[in-house]
Amino acid sequence: MEETEPKDTNTKEEAPIIEIKNVKKIYRMGNERIPAVDDVSFAIKKGEFCCLLGTSGSGKSTLLNLMAGIEKASGGQILIKGKNIRKMNEKQLAKFRQKYLGFVFQSYNLLNSMTALENVEFPLVFKRIPARRRKRMAREMLVKVGLGSRMNHRPKQMSGGQQQRVGIARAFVAKPEIVFADEPTGNLDTRTTMEVMDLIKQVAKDNAQTIVMVTHDPRLAKFADKIIHILDGKIQSIETISHTMTEDTEEETTEKSEAEREENEEDEKENEKE
Amino acid sequence: MRISDLIKMGLRNLGRRKARTALTVVGVVIGTISIMLMVAIGQGINYNFEKQIMENGSMTIIRIYTYAWGENENGEYQEYQQVLNEELIAQLREIKHVKAVSPVMEKYIELYSGKYMTGISLKIMDCATFADFGFPALEYGTYPTPEQNETIVFGYEALNEFYYNNGRTYQTKTVDLAKDRVNFTFRDYDTTDVKKQFRYVVKDYAKIAACDQWEYGWYCYVDYEFYKELYTRYANTLKPADKKKAMESLERYDTIQINVDNMKHVTEVQEAIEELGYRTESDMQYIQPMLDTSDMLQKVFLAIGAVAFVVAAINIANTMIMSIYERTKEIGIMKVLGCYIKDIKKLFLFEAGIIGCIGGMVGVGLSYVAAYLLNEYGGAFLGSLMTIAGGEADTGAAYCIIPFWLPFAAILVAISVGILSGYLPARRATKISAIEAMKNEG
Repeated sequence: MEETEPKDTNTKEEAPIIEIKNVKKIYRMGNERIPAVDDVSFAIKKGEFCCLLGTSGSGKSTLLNLMAGIEKASGGQILIKGKNIRKMNEKQLAKFRQKYLGFVFQSYNLLNSMTALENVEFPLVFKRIPARRRKRMAREMLVKVGLGSRMNHRPKQMSGGQQQRVGIARAFVAKPEIVFADEPTGNLDTRTTMEVMDLIKQVAKDNAQTIVMVTHDPRLAKFADKIIHILDGKIQSIETISHTMTEDTEEETTEKSEAEREENEEDEKENEKE
Repeated sequence: MRISDLIKMGLRNLGRRKARTALTVVGVVIGTISIMLMVAIGQGINYNFEKQIMENGSMTIIRIYTYAWGENENGEYQEYQQVLNEELIAQLREIKHVKAVSPVMEKYIELYSGKYMTGISLKIMDCATFADFGFPALEYGTYPTPEQNETIVFGYEALNEFYYNNGRTYQTKTVDLAKDRVNFTFRDYDTTDVKKQFRYVVKDYAKIAACDQWEYGWYCYVDYEFYKELYTRYANTLKPADKKKAMESLERYDTIQINVDNMKHVTEVQEAIEELGYRTESDMQYIQPMLDTSDMLQKVFLAIGAVAFVVAAINIANTMIMSIYERTKEIGIMKVLGCYIKDIKKLFLFEAGIIGCIGGMVGVGLSYVAAYLLNEYGGAFLGSLMTIAGGEADTGAAYCIIPFWLPFAAILVAISVGILSGYLPARRATKISAIEAMKNEG
């Protein structure tokens, strides 16, 4: 797996960041075999906002879990940054998540015993980042999501929208290349939903991060660059939406992402030294 | 995760459920107190026991008597006559752990000082072994040596109560060797009138300083070689038939006394002597069953303490399992956020260890209080335990003795018990799937 890394960096512009090939997930209920994800293949490019759209029970959440290595696929290949996550053991997966993945959950999944700041710090704790730097990073991130004044509040003292902002800050604080979002606005009202979606989109755009979002709400799908319609574990259609985005701005973001990426790599090296 | 983060998180988690943590800690506290007190009481029993043995002295001494009682092959008791001579002494000296061997004879002598007299037992031993048998300090004079063996050593009571009785008056007096001349004679055979009666005038003398060992009180001690000289002279004053008997008696010893280098080896040496075909006796024989009882009692105490600890361990395990059930989702989230399994395991082991550690420390503190209270007010109860163990409990003795290593050992045990009982729950925690984080029930 290590060998593929240099090649990976050279060809990153062309190669998709996530590649799914003939992925299957079959649940066994006694003697019955229930295919939740049935022979699915697609690819997501770097910086893309991809939406998995489907009704409840369509297998979209399972697909997300498979991509994040939370569940083991029954068949097929899942390549993320060219690495087959199906072949990783628990330790490698944990390291992989620390480095490349962020998560936004429907029920926020904040730890109630911790303040907003500590919650945002949490993923950095696992990366063994020293406390001072960790706090700085978390503070910056909270300011970015507009919670600069609520850093020392506990989740219970905040509204749903605020909690999800903390969740978003936590997902993005380590500057992961991919952020998975599982019904991120499922528990929020319409107005807050739009705010939160805008926030996710904006933060991701700033860092050219790839977003994979699961939702059942077609209105949210409009935020995506690519919508994958899923029904009964199969892909029905893939639709690419061209936003009214000028070429200039796109280029700008790409350049910016390059700079960010380098900074990221430096960070990682530092981490490893520590 | 960094150690500092692990500690912070572990403490925070324990703090979240203060009542439950406190109750679990109380379990460990009780366990620690019980095990510490039990060990301390055991130490107290041992201490008192050893003190008594010290006072009695002579725990390392084995004796072989000419006339010994023992069981024969048919299980019947009978008297054995054993030949104790120089050859046997040489053999005994070869046995491992034997420090000193001496023949022992006891003769009744009559001491005279002017018109006063007294009867006393003369103990005859090899003077080279006096030091090895732990003879006490002298009030004056020096112990005989093989070169200078003519000293008569008087016990600390031996010079008291010389008496004069002429039928009308009865007077007693304490002899002062510096002023009064003392002579003595043996009384084993009727003296003939033909020859002059044997009298030995004491020239070199020493006196044992008063001490609490009774065998140095109403006795006189003399070297074996010098005794032979004296007794030969005495035999020469006897009738031919008696003289022959007297001379023969010099070749056999009444008793052989053996000193062993350590109390622990007494039984071993006794067995070695019995293999030579001799019957032996030692105070240890009678003490050994008591030692065994005290040993057993300590084990029982330790077991009682251990039971309390086992309960505490189950308690910790239960708390940790409960905690894992509560935190299933949290563990899932941690996994999704990239926490290593190893760190999850460490976190739970740390929490369990901290419960053990706090419980251990509080328990140690309270144990000192409890030990103090028991020593102060628990005499009646603990005193009866001491008597079970074969010792006599005297008031004011220390019943609980906490040796310096015990608090450290107790805390260490408490931490280990915590970690051990946290191990299975911790493993269980690592098996929780990251999927738990994706479930949406609140």
